[in-house]
Amino acid sequence: MSQNRAIPAWREGESLSRALVNLLLKGGSLVGLVALSAAFAILSPHFFTLGNWLNIFRQVAVVLIAASAQTMVIITAGIDLSVGSVLALGGCLAAVAMSYWGWPFVSGALLGVFFATLAGLASGVIIAKGRIPDFIATLGMLGAIRGIALLITGGLPVPSHFTATKLAGYLPQSIVWLGSGDIKGIPVPMVFALLVVAITWFILNRTTFGRSLYAVGGNREAARAAGINVDRIKILVYGVSGLYCGLAGLVLVGRMNSANALMAEGLELQTIAAVVIGGTNLFGGKGSVFGTLIGAILMGVLSNGLNLLNVEPFWQRVVNGLLIVAVVVFDQWRRRVTRD
Amino acid sequence: MPQTPILEVRNVSKSFPGVKALDTVSMDVLPGEVHALLGENGAGKSTLMKIISGIIPKDAGEIFLDGKPVHFLSPRDALNAGVVLVQQELSLVPDLSVAENIFLGRWPRRGVQVDWNTIFSETFHLLERFGIKEDPRTPVGSLSVAEQQTVEILKAVSRPNLRILLLDEPTSALSEDEVNRLFELVAEIKKTGIGIIFISHKLHEALRIADRVTVLRDGRKVVTEEARRLDERMLFEYLTGKSVEVLETGHGGDHTEAVMLALEGFSSGGFVRDVNLKVRKGEVFVLFGLIGSGRTTLARGLFGLERTTGKMTLEDKVVQPKSPQEAIALGIGYLPEDRRQALVYELPVFANITLAILSRVSRRGILRLREETSLAEDFVRSLRIKTPNIFREVLYLSGGNQQKVLLARWLARKPKLLIMDEPTRGIDVGAKFEIRAMVRDLARQGLAILYITSEPVEALEVADRIAVMRGGRIVRIFERTDGIDKTVLLAVASGVS
Repeated sequence: MSQNRAIPAWREGESLSRALVNLLLKGGSLVGLVALSAAFAILSPHFFTLGNWLNIFRQVAVVLIAASAQTMVIITAGIDLSVGSVLALGGCLAAVAMSYWGWPFVSGALLGVFFATLAGLASGVIIAKGRIPDFIATLGMLGAIRGIALLITGGLPVPSHFTATKLAGYLPQSIVWLGSGDIKGIPVPMVFALLVVAITWFILNRTTFGRSLYAVGGNREAARAAGINVDRIKILVYGVSGLYCGLAGLVLVGRMNSANALMAEGLELQTIAAVVIGGTNLFGGKGSVFGTLIGAILMGVLSNGLNLLNVEPFWQRVVNGLLIVAVVVFDQWRRRVTRD
Repeated sequence: MPQTPILEVRNVSKSFPGVKALDTVSMDVLPGEVHALLGENGAGKSTLMKIISGIIPKDAGEIFLDGKPVHFLSPRDALNAGVVLVQQELSLVPDLSVAENIFLGRWPRRGVQVDWNTIFSETFHLLERFGIKEDPRTPVGSLSVAEQQTVEILKAVSRPNLRILLLDEPTSALSEDEVNRLFELVAEIKKTGIGIIFISHKLHEALRIADRVTVLRDGRKVVTEEARRLDERMLFEYLTGKSVEVLETGHGGDHTEAVMLALEGFSSGGFVRDVNLKVRKGEVFVLFGLIGSGRTTLARGLFGLERTTGKMTLEDKVVQPKSPQEAIALGIGYLPEDRRQALVYELPVFANITLAILSRVSRRGILRLREETSLAEDFVRSLRIKTPNIFREVLYLSGGNQQKVLLARWLARKPKLLIMDEPTRGIDVGAKFEIRAMVRDLARQGLAILYITSEPVEALEVADRIAVMRGGRIVRIFERTDGIDKTVLLAVASGVS
């Protein structure tokens, strides 16, 4: 009866509740996003304005870039817990080079992104060659990389008030523009993040690397038996994750006009949440970056809406945490309903 | 003499959206009878089993147990009434002992304690009664699949109220020898007067074990007939609705073609040793052996999945692939015994077909989708892969069609040597014949094929030459297949002279 499994019983349903279930199953996160936005729009007059939406996108940009990388990693049945630390490392290095060493924007940015990529590749090598679970390896890297970032900055913000002078020690305008500038009213970080999403889509759907990611995550043994170099794919995907985090680090430093080694703490949870809300299978083999886009926006809308409603930031953490749990429960339910 | 059937199914129907899975099907099971239920995938036999055992409800019809109408709303209802289903996936707890598993969930008690003495002694008697030499204290996880299955069946038999035993494809993972032992057990259980429904793909097994046979096709009953009035060819026609074109045996003989693969003193995985053989272009070379004889280990060695020593020559070049990647680059393709080791179920049909030729359907790492999909379309057409379209996940295809997708993957690579490990296991009879015919056809086009099977009839049908393996060695090579009887193959493979 394998043919029937493709046609779950609810498809035939006609009642309103059945239709609702159907809608949730197909477009879960999008439905959630629309419903949440509608609720906030009713509760707060400031929510549904162009200015506020652009603001949401500005805030979401960093998470979105890192979550695009997380999507690729999770599709290979991996997980990257070190995204926040790697972002901080890249951002701090770039900021130190630009502000203290007087490097121009491009070379400073390249330096930060280069070392972030290297950190990602290191995770990949540990996982692939050391045969260590992704979870453990990147958990270790989460601590180690954060430590290196602290060593580089001496625990101080970059540029800091102690060292900055009028002549040297400030960040170049280019990075500030990247993080908080706009092109005819459209935030630069938003454009940049959407560009990253588009590139990620292209990688996943139009390249042999992307296809290999799905194969490795869907069935590692099968991928190997089809001649795919699984270790190489694993190392590369963590390298790409590091690269993306380096880029996200530049955006964040530009937005804050400052870097510090403790920035982007907890980013791993935010990115994983965005990926899971977006419908990507935590066990690998299935997922899309557009889902992640919706997921990231949904998280941004949630925190923005709660801010507008003057909910304490501490409560926001509680809500964010519960949201992740709720989404996984929803995902399990969706899988059960569509499989039977 | 008319007996009251233990179980009677009368005009049962069941629909799933878009499909009528069962259409007014009737059958009955007499006391002490083994009733074989045959059908291709999708014929409705699993649906019928699930209805009888209360897993899914019926839409229409009646079921009688010992002449009384019954309505099972859950598997528990069915269990309580004495209807037990033994499924393909075993439901044993590996870390518990044989005895604990048999009494799982209904351990006898003495006060608040579990009464271990009773459990072990009753299990001991049960094992003895059916002539099974097993220690009740052995953890189930350390038993072979066949032994675990025996435990699963005994678990059902140990229920005091057992009336009907449903065995769902119990032989699919067993070797010939283990099948024999299973059949002895079934024969013993028959004597206790309960009814047994035996579901299978394998026609000759059904004919051997069953008293009567019922054939389903497309949700309808085709026939119920006494087994002794049937033969394999008749059953095949009932199953598929087509008449059989029996493949001729005894191809062999033409040894003029160039050698594609030569092995000298070849060892693989520490178990297979001292293998010497030659596979020629355009021939199907069968490796015949029982499960555990080392056929798969040898194949895995050739494909770079096991450590190997000795000399391996592929088209005059000495090679030693250390990974599948290397083996594939050398021109070797491998369909493993278990399709799950090769298919990425959540990828669509076309992506599974092109998985081993990604570099050929891309330029600088960017896929050329049009080229890729049109290539996949061609294979779907030429191999007659049944799928709504090439974008369907492989997950939803039947076993036979999944196997064809894998075949397409390797044909797309145009290999020099294709290794096929039990390519017809667990698939429809129709697809089985189709795949065997395809194999013959590929050989005719000049491909060298190493074909692994443990079914003697299949070996004789596809082979040009046959090597028999036992205990990690090749014990005999038959240069021709005509005049060999399947019993000869079996005797050589099991070491009986």
